[in-house]
Amino acid sequence: MFLVKMCILNGFTLAALLFIVASGLTLSFSLMRVVNLSHGAFYLAGGFVGLSVLNASGSWLLAIGVAGIAIAVLALVEERFFLRWARGNDLIETLVSLSIAIIIGDLVLVIWGGYPKTIKIPEMLSGAVEIPILVVYYPVYRLFMLAMALVLGGGLWLFLKKTNLGITIRAGVDNFNMVAALGFNVKRIFTMVFALSGFLAGAAGVVGGTLMMLVVGEDWRILTLTLIVIIIGGLGSLIGTAVGALITGLAYSFATAYIPEFSLFILFLPVAVILSIRPQGLFGKEAA
Amino acid sequence: MNGSDPRLIKPVLASVLTVLLLSLPWLTSDYFVMMTIRIMYFGLLTMSLCYLAGELGLVSLMQAAFFGIAGYFVAILQTRYSLPFPIPPLAGIGVAVLAAGLFGLLAIKAKGVYFLMLTLVLGQLVWALASQWASMTKGDSGITGIYAPVLFGFSAEKSKTVFYFFQLFAFSGVVWFLAALKRSPFGLMLRGVRDSETRMAMLGYPVMLLRYLAFIFAALVAAVGGVFFAYFTGLINPHSVSLTANVEALMASILGGINTLFGAVLGTGILKTLDVVLSGVTERYVLVMGVMFLVIIMFAPKGIAGSARQIWEAYKGKMLSFLALGNKTAKP
Repeated sequence: MFLVKMCILNGFTLAALLFIVASGLTLSFSLMRVVNLSHGAFYLAGGFVGLSVLNASGSWLLAIGVAGIAIAVLALVEERFFLRWARGNDLIETLVSLSIAIIIGDLVLVIWGGYPKTIKIPEMLSGAVEIPILVVYYPVYRLFMLAMALVLGGGLWLFLKKTNLGITIRAGVDNFNMVAALGFNVKRIFTMVFALSGFLAGAAGVVGGTLMMLVVGEDWRILTLTLIVIIIGGLGSLIGTAVGALITGLAYSFATAYIPEFSLFILFLPVAVILSIRPQGLFGKEAA
Repeated sequence: MNGSDPRLIKPVLASVLTVLLLSLPWLTSDYFVMMTIRIMYFGLLTMSLCYLAGELGLVSLMQAAFFGIAGYFVAILQTRYSLPFPIPPLAGIGVAVLAAGLFGLLAIKAKGVYFLMLTLVLGQLVWALASQWASMTKGDSGITGIYAPVLFGFSAEKSKTVFYFFQLFAFSGVVWFLAALKRSPFGLMLRGVRDSETRMAMLGYPVMLLRYLAFIFAALVAAVGGVFFAYFTGLINPHSVSLTANVEALMASILGGINTLFGAVLGTGILKTLDVVLSGVTERYVLVMGVMFLVIIMFAPKGIAGSARQIWEAYKGKMLSFLALGNKTAKP
């Protein structure tokens, strides 16, 4: 029983991390139709930038902020100087993002080396608390991650549904030309959303690097998990991303506990089931 | 493809190439023969990718999975179960084709970027299996001690030349198969699907089945490469099914030009040569490759073979107009 409880809790917290990473990817996808394969590299680079900031300043929150901004700038450069150049051919755009991921991955190896590193859990969030109903002790940090994902999810939802910018973005998804004709600079909005997506990936790198190891190779693992989340949930849907993250997180967590040799492979099951029933994902729109 | 070429060029080139390939072990050093062997098996992997990309317009990031599945089955059946020669490679190719049958059911529904994303995930899952299922695959260290078989009294393990000829035979067989497939009614139907799927569906062609079969044929080609890879290197580890392996195949096909079989081999040759040259000069081989990949995608997406053809076509047009009109009207 204890193991089951822990699996559920771990599943939820992994889902929280996956949601934080995947929300950035789905955001850039929903607007630009780019499956940004450098998102995993953004995560890893963000984690390492955060690690260096933490070592220099001692502030975990500052680490998150700086990592997010650094990766946002990186994303901005990628969008402005590479992706925009190839605009219109989504395959070329995706391949460009793939090669940028390779470049970032190797630069990370040059700067921070190939040994696994972790970010120390901040004082305030270390230790464990008892969870009332389940009667288990659970790390504070993981619960904090869960709260963070909820806040982020709520915030993004409000941003997309209620703010003018969010409404413009969604309008741009549905009819790019019309929104452009109404006088909005959709190109600039593209760049901004892509930078925001980079910010989320970079910040997620610090959050995830505090929970798990940061090591070269992790970029592709995170990218795979993120893509699984998005395939399950459907591209471009925030609710879909949340549901996809939950399914992926729980499946991975139970598989790690019970059949560790197949923990990643087991994720194939939900992907296969959902793709055969709904190829566009649970909450995805029909492919245009 | 080369309708405008004079008719004699092709057979002459083909015979020169055949003579060169057949006499290669006596013309060059062992090292060069080994390089050629490597280029041939990786070339099969690249061809598998190019076949899907060229005939279906789908870029796959999981062809190395089929390459690796075949290699792993050869390794496991031979080292763990000590099965005699024809069984491991045949079973390896068979299982890879079965896997393609399973994955294909999911993958062929997707198009464009979705296909790329889906095959990336499926390929990574195969990698996860190779890396995590340690009791069967020996995890990240991989399986060693795979010996190439003795065929017709010749040991492919002891002599690189013998290995070379066996592989050349299989390689030529696969190239011939793919070329025949491209020219066959099946190949023409596939091209129809690539260019206008709805029209082909309206004409009553089984569009999904055609795509599915193409996916399986491509996996078969990669699997043959995987068998030779396992035999030649004597080891197989998760690296051969990793995303890096897939990206290398993609890089090779983009280098050479994604639409032709020749481009696939050319691209692999260039990539593997660069591999040797660069790793001697710098440790940042991956970085250089990444930058090169980016530059090629952005500036020559048709690859070297494609760009060469483009330049040739442009040059030919200029030549003709120059000869015909006797003035320089063509733009620089």
